[in-house]
Amino acid sequence: MVIGAGIAGIEASLLLSKAGRKVYLVEKCSFVGGTVVKFENVFPNMECATCMLAPRQQDLLQDRNIELLTLAQVAQVGTSPEGFTVQICKRARYVDILACIGCGTCYEPCPVSAPNEFEMGLSQSKAISIPCVGALPNVPVIDKERCVRFAGKDCRACKDACALDAINLDQKDEMLELRVGAIIVATGFDTWNVGQIPRYGYGRHSDIYDALEFERLFASNGPTEGRIVLRSGRTPRSAALVHCVGREEKGYCSAVCCLYLLKFSHYLKSKISDVKINEFYTDFCIPGKSHQRFFERMVKGDINLIRASRLEVDDCDNGLVVRYDTGGGKRNECVVDMVILAPPMQPRRDTPQLAKILGISLDDKGFFVKGVASSVSSSRSGIYVVGCAQGPKSIEESVAEAQAAVADILSSSRSGGL
Amino acid sequence: MTKRIGVFICECGTNISDKIDINKVIEEVASLEDVVVAESAKLLCSPEGRISLEKRIKQEALTHLVVAACSPRDHQQTFMSVCKRAGMNPYLLQLVNIREQCAWITEDSARATEKAIRMIRTAISRVRYHVRLEKREIVVNSDVLVVGGGIAGIEISLMLACPDRTVYLVEKSTILGGMARRFERVFPGMDKYSEVLETKIGRVLEHQNIRVLTASDLEQIIGFYGNFEARVRCKIEGEVTRNLNVGAVVLTIGSQPSDPSGIEKYGYGEIDNVLTALEFEEMNRSGQIALCNGSLPTSVAIVHCVGREEKGYCSEVCCMYALKFARYLRERVPYAKVSLLYSEMCIPGKTYQRFCEETLGDNVKLVRSSNVRVWEKDEGKAVSYLDEGGAEQTLIVDMVILAPAIEPTSDARRIAEIAGIPLSIDGFFAEQHEKLGPVATSKEGVFIAGCAQGPKSISDTLVQADAAAGLILSSLVPGRRMEVEAETSQILESFCQGCRSCISVCSYGAITFDERMKVARVNEVICRGCGNCAASCPSGAASIRHSTCDQIYQEITEATR
Amino acid sequence: MTAFEPRIVGFLCNWCSYAGADLAGTSRLDIPASFTPIRIMCSSRLDPVIILTAFLRGADGVLVAGCHPGDCHYEKGNYYARRRFALVKKVVESLGLEPNRLQLSWISASEGKKFADVINKFDERIRALGPNPLKKVTL
Repeated sequence: MVIGAGIAGIEASLLLSKAGRKVYLVEKCSFVGGTVVKFENVFPNMECATCMLAPRQQDLLQDRNIELLTLAQVAQVGTSPEGFTVQICKRARYVDILACIGCGTCYEPCPVSAPNEFEMGLSQSKAISIPCVGALPNVPVIDKERCVRFAGKDCRACKDACALDAINLDQKDEMLELRVGAIIVATGFDTWNVGQIPRYGYGRHSDIYDALEFERLFASNGPTEGRIVLRSGRTPRSAALVHCVGREEKGYCSAVCCLYLLKFSHYLKSKISDVKINEFYTDFCIPGKSHQRFFERMVKGDINLIRASRLEVDDCDNGLVVRYDTGGGKRNECVVDMVILAPPMQPRRDTPQLAKILGISLDDKGFFVKGVASSVSSSRSGIYVVGCAQGPKSIEESVAEAQAAVADILSSSRSGGL
Repeated sequence: MTKRIGVFICECGTNISDKIDINKVIEEVASLEDVVVAESAKLLCSPEGRISLEKRIKQEALTHLVVAACSPRDHQQTFMSVCKRAGMNPYLLQLVNIREQCAWITEDSARATEKAIRMIRTAISRVRYHVRLEKREIVVNSDVLVVGGGIAGIEISLMLACPDRTVYLVEKSTILGGMARRFERVFPGMDKYSEVLETKIGRVLEHQNIRVLTASDLEQIIGFYGNFEARVRCKIEGEVTRNLNVGAVVLTIGSQPSDPSGIEKYGYGEIDNVLTALEFEEMNRSGQIALCNGSLPTSVAIVHCVGREEKGYCSEVCCMYALKFARYLRERVPYAKVSLLYSEMCIPGKTYQRFCEETLGDNVKLVRSSNVRVWEKDEGKAVSYLDEGGAEQTLIVDMVILAPAIEPTSDARRIAEIAGIPLSIDGFFAEQHEKLGPVATSKEGVFIAGCAQGPKSISDTLVQADAAAGLILSSLVPGRRMEVEAETSQILESFCQGCRSCISVCSYGAITFDERMKVARVNEVICRGCGNCAASCPSGAASIRHSTCDQIYQEITEATR
Repeated sequence: MTAFEPRIVGFLCNWCSYAGADLAGTSRLDIPASFTPIRIMCSSRLDPVIILTAFLRGADGVLVAGCHPGDCHYEKGNYYARRRFALVKKVVESLGLEPNRLQLSWISASEGKKFADVINKFDERIRALGPNPLKKVTL
């Protein structure tokens, strides 16, 4: 069983299937691709994230050995002679995944509109929707919390619009019991809401974005089709990119922010050629053989790199003012149209719950603990943790960990053990 | 053979039938040559739709099938399976996208219908030129050759070796363990590493399915994934050469620290008590940290980023091992003052920052600096640098430890050539894909892991070694045959002029030149079917199965009618 | 006199541009019906002869679309496509065709809108240029 259909979970599933294993891929959301599918490009070669993932997503959906369970979560885990018995709670999608052909006719008549979570609230979606154009599987889901029918009203607008009768408003949540030999946890990460640190102004001012919001703003399949237009309606002529937001509070470095903020500066320059960029950092963390060349390519031209501390963001007449200390305690300020904050990567909010269900330990930062049995083991035999669920890391490190977990499973089962 | 083409048009619920006048389409195509069946269906991809399609294929004894529905990216596999179940070769199918690329892109029904007719005619013309293709299976050798007996090589050997699979572990020196042998402790846990390493080496040496070949060099590799032959020469033992038959090769040759004596400003080799990191590790392992004259150092400067500018990359582990060194000093020379002269502190991940915070203290300080220079003064080593504000400062210390850039080993180039894989611009082995293929290479069956791919920590090295094992374990299964892609290139010997254009354009090295017959030959196991060779061939010898020029010309003819 | 309805042929690579075209469809964008897609695995499949054949058989416009440089599913295929394209452009000119009848575009899988824009603009341009002059020549 693989928990989490992000890039690490997809990699592990495909590899296990190649080896002839049956895989249950349990995904909490209605789509596959995790967080990477929200990006337009990935560093350092700036290739298109969707193009990179699409072949794998296609393979996944068509793979006979992989049973994809979306809207599903692990409810209980017990042991069995072969390994584990797992109870899965599969929430109702209210749309028949086999009958639906992804035409989207059901969205328009829906009376409910609410902030789209996938688009980080930057656009609205209906109670019945897919997260974004191109999301896979291309089958919508009804959000019970928003749908007026589940609040008592007699609305059947979507069902009436569907020519294939694919909508089943009476569908029930299901409980499944599965027996598996091993479990790979690949649940990824959440970002910390940096509104918790008032000095950055996040949430108080409309043109302050966190990293994932900016990714969606720039995405060509996103809420503005990739046009950089701020919530205030303006096109920014200047931007402040802020590193290490929340790093002190969390006590660790999130490993990829320096690199993706460079990517963001490229995003900005590609759409607004004369944009002025001020990048506020503490240490530039760019390990790896190709990342320094990436850095040099990205900072050519109009980027101001400023080593800063005690940074604050506030409103002002012309936009946003960033106040900061440079070396020697000198206080400075600059005015920009937009601010992009790099928040810390933290464990998913339901990690403590999942850890308890699986019977595995967390460390003091809340991430799953790396056991000693192997490079990707958890604290419990037969359960592996890979990717950002274990700690902040880059895509290639997550993919390698997924492949390593597969090695563990395939090699130990041949020797008869778990 | 008489062709009996069946054309099935999916209504896709109402998605297609809404815009496209299906009856008109049927009328137009039913009369075309070889078309014996032209009908519509409500939803071909549904279970009922598929069963009914299978029945119709059998009932009408169809030889070719055209399905006009949604995108082949959605349901190509689905309909190929239906063909297989109906006893038809799945490559005699052509899928036409009249949904995403026809019905859904226009409001004008007449136009959509006309375009659908055109697209279906295109498919019918093309499918006449389809031929039966089979996915072949080949027997593979599941043994593995691991080149490099450091921790990566050791890890992967232990992960792979089993009664059905022999691992040959080739090491150029006389002992296993590689660079990690020299470390007393490793960050961040600061465990005593020699015990860990000895245990692993012991397991390797005792393992019945691991053949360790020390003092041995790799000389040649020929063949392809599933079937390599490697020649290894033992430098002692009377120069014995062995030919090993393996299915996969893993290159774990590690890396080496660069030599700072080329960079004058650090004074290495000129000034005494200026050491490299490895020299300091060894000094620490010997149990005594001392200056040349035998006395204990009272102050030490550790200089980060030595050679970083020249190399153009960050070596990833130095900031952390510099902190480790500070801890060594704290333990062995507790009163010594340690200054870490760094430019950017690189401590990513959930544990490293704490390691840093717990290392710093009264006697261990971080000094952000640039333009570091080491020179001799009467009082000791002078380490001058520019501080954060740009002012010049000088520290006087007894000992200077340099953290040099990590570079590829001296035989990286030779090994890469032998294995047929490219190097990246900095000389390390190039991975197949920076994000999705960190341990694979562009040559199928050759894998890389550890510092040979780029500088990294021990824990990242172990993950990569396991990752390479994962890739091998999932496809090179003892006793199982490997399925080979059918839509590959084929080269007609009689047309080949031996110009080798195809060889020069193939990204995968799938084409080799037969010197005797003077023709190019495609290895279909490696070929990925991109078509580059076919496009570059001046004599028309190279073509791609299932994407032949004839098939494409048929599509063009109908599309321009 | 019947209005000129162009016949535009598009060679789309399976991994990026064909996916982008599908996305344009899923997004219900407007694409002229004059455009017929031909799916190939990689833009590097295109022998210059194939492109010339398209014109000789009467195509009014030919579009070649592949992955953005650096994104090619087959590593470097699109670089070769780009080189061959430059060559074919010259040959097309020498045949007496306006070189604008041939276009190369890089379209990624997430660029449904870009795909639509490219096809619409290309269609406009071809309509302005008129029918392929070679159609009057009997071959």
